[in-house]
Amino acid sequence: MSRGYLSRLRGLALPVAALLAAELAMLATGAQSDAFARPSEILRAMWAAALDGSLAAASAQTLGNALLGLAMGGGIGLACGLWFGAVPRVGRLSALTVNLLRPLPSVALVPIAMLAFGFGYRMESAVVAFTCIWPMLMFAQDGVARIEPRLLEVAQVLGLRGLRRAWKIVLPAALPRIFVGLRLSLGIALTIAVTTEIVANPMGLGYGLSMAQQSLNPALMLALVIWIGVLGWAVNAGLLRLQERLFGRRGARP
Amino acid sequence: MSAALAPPRLARRLGDAAGGLLVLLALVGAWAWASAAGWVSPIFLPSPQATWEALRHGLAEGDLAAASAATVERMIYGWVLASALGVAIGTLIGISPALRAWIQPTLEFIRPLPASAVMPVAIALLGLSPGMVLAVIAFGAIWPVLLSTVHGFASIDPRLHEVARVLGLSRRAFVAKIGLPHTLPDVITGMRLSLTIALVLAIVGEMLASQTGLGSAILMAARSFRAPELYAGVVLLGIIGLLSNVLLALAERMVRIHR
Amino acid sequence: MTAALREASLDPSVAVRPAAQPLIRLDGVALDLGGRRIINGLDLALGRGEFVCVVGPSGCGKTTLLRLLSGLVRPTSGRILRDDRNVDGPAQDVAIVFQDYGRALLPWRTVAGNVSLALEAARVPRAERSARIAPLLAQVGLAAHAAKYPAELSGGMQQRLQIARCLAQRPAVLLMDEPFGALDAMTRQSLQDDLLALVRQHGTTVLFITHDLEEAIYLGDRVIALRANPGSQRSSLAQDIVIELPHPRDQLATREHPEFLRLRRFLFDFIQEPRP
Repeated sequence: MSRGYLSRLRGLALPVAALLAAELAMLATGAQSDAFARPSEILRAMWAAALDGSLAAASAQTLGNALLGLAMGGGIGLACGLWFGAVPRVGRLSALTVNLLRPLPSVALVPIAMLAFGFGYRMESAVVAFTCIWPMLMFAQDGVARIEPRLLEVAQVLGLRGLRRAWKIVLPAALPRIFVGLRLSLGIALTIAVTTEIVANPMGLGYGLSMAQQSLNPALMLALVIWIGVLGWAVNAGLLRLQERLFGRRGARP
Repeated sequence: MSAALAPPRLARRLGDAAGGLLVLLALVGAWAWASAAGWVSPIFLPSPQATWEALRHGLAEGDLAAASAATVERMIYGWVLASALGVAIGTLIGISPALRAWIQPTLEFIRPLPASAVMPVAIALLGLSPGMVLAVIAFGAIWPVLLSTVHGFASIDPRLHEVARVLGLSRRAFVAKIGLPHTLPDVITGMRLSLTIALVLAIVGEMLASQTGLGSAILMAARSFRAPELYAGVVLLGIIGLLSNVLLALAERMVRIHR
Repeated sequence: MTAALREASLDPSVAVRPAAQPLIRLDGVALDLGGRRIINGLDLALGRGEFVCVVGPSGCGKTTLLRLLSGLVRPTSGRILRDDRNVDGPAQDVAIVFQDYGRALLPWRTVAGNVSLALEAARVPRAERSARIAPLLAQVGLAAHAAKYPAELSGGMQQRLQIARCLAQRPAVLLMDEPFGALDAMTRQSLQDDLLALVRQHGTTVLFITHDLEEAIYLGDRVIALRANPGSQRSSLAQDIVIELPHPRDQLATREHPEFLRLRRFLFDFIQEPRP
């Protein structure tokens, strides 16, 4: 028990030391910069943004867009992935199209979304949606392909076919892998949402970040960068916990 | 015997390839039909023909060729820089279990940070310049290579460490003869991810800093409502993404063949 | 296992006699896999309620025979008839107990849920299901574990769960692929007797694959030995022996019976014989 504690503390040692060093260095030299701020100032800016509700509002916007896009694109990807996995022939026929569309950098779609939807939540969630189709598709397809063949034989022997087999056997068996895909896709969704906001969309954390930089407010800017990192980490850690809860105990392999 | 097996498998492969092509053509056909039927306004969905025309014209007489070259150049410079630094720093951290223990948690925390979030900081630091874009690409693209290098060194069988000690290998010799060759497949995988990130950041950088390239080209096309040129640029970006992915996947497979 | 069930199996009037009209018949069945002839010229008849054990060296096609009977695989030539009708796919009342029980159970469902799967597949109405699951679990001694997940059960219990699920199909034919192979000796003996009592009560026809010759003699009304690599000239069927040992079987008494020892010697010698 103390072993884990110590290694956890040791992991924090470097960042804490770096922050202390930065704080002291900037205090000592009295340096002013458009890009850097003292850790204490960063903390103060974050606290202020939290208090006046702007941090929460921006976070809600970014998260909302990410989740909306994930639901739409991830849903399509999930359905297609399950289909391609369950009917390998369809998977093989669509492979060419999928492999041509997948490497398209989603950022390149921002101008198209701008053209179609203007600015706002529709444009951002559309870009997120396109991006999230592919990882969900791949993980769902892989999840189905990896199903224990014995279980499929049991289904055959019991006379389960088609949709009944999909609901009772295929989907639950593929679920652990699908969940991993969901976790990774959420991280991607957040990244794309923030990127879209920095580049074009005037809402959310990315936009706040961009504005802070343009108004020469390094403390707020860095505070938002750190906050975005914390948000991504927390979302991933939370889903990881959930994953272990759901799939760890019952012995279903993720 | 084996010849009897060959025709069915080959026939199936050809059938799949032809079928895949048919599916693709069907989708393009659906695109053409949708725009011809006027379901979606030509302002944001140009016909495939208009896109093709804009592509041809842009490459032959317009700026698309130059813009593509600029984007690819930027992507490659940033990627090479990121890979070199990633391997170097990753090796330094990787060969020392002590360093790994201290630094790894911090690395794991930085990893999920969207690289584009660092862009405004870089702009504040370096201004809107090509150097800034390059720096951001390098910073964003370094993580997959760095992390997979560290992981590769961490996963070296302790038995090999013992062999190296018994043989009296110096630290440098160990890295060169055992460490790097062992880590190479992981590094290549990391580099493949890095290239994807490099492309994305190159586009974002061009959009934000108005540098010559496909990123700014498509943004400008969107702002002037010139949809066919916008789509032509997007198609080119897709091709760049596809080619870089395919080439690196090939390299990865060649490296892993010998495992 | 409930005492009541054991007592019922002691009743000599419940003796099983193979019916005159066989339930399953194989006519000149052959199967090729990957260019090799696994099974050749197999003529076999299984009677209603018969317990048939299949032994033989590895590669002789025991598992393949089971899959042929289940309808999961079609023969390359020859016919398989069930009640004089061609078998061309899995039937609702043919159940398979797989050797790798861990992989044949649904890890995300409880013990009761796993048994329920067979009932759901047969479209048994929801209201009826729990009424049928409880006695099945009791029969295999898992009544107290209905809410546990397979990962929380021992190997023997997992195999019993699989048997319970198969029984939920109310099978006329039970196909078992070395079901007790991965279990320890004590669990194996206990399950052997439980199985005998169960199938005698329900009158199920059983095809039981095992590499354990003594188990085959102990359990079976008949023991079939298959030969490996029959080629295209010989039949896969090397021996077909009727076991004339008294029912009910007893782990101690039956295994000391002179007929048991004779059969055991015979089969051992037969298996040891150098193959040409």
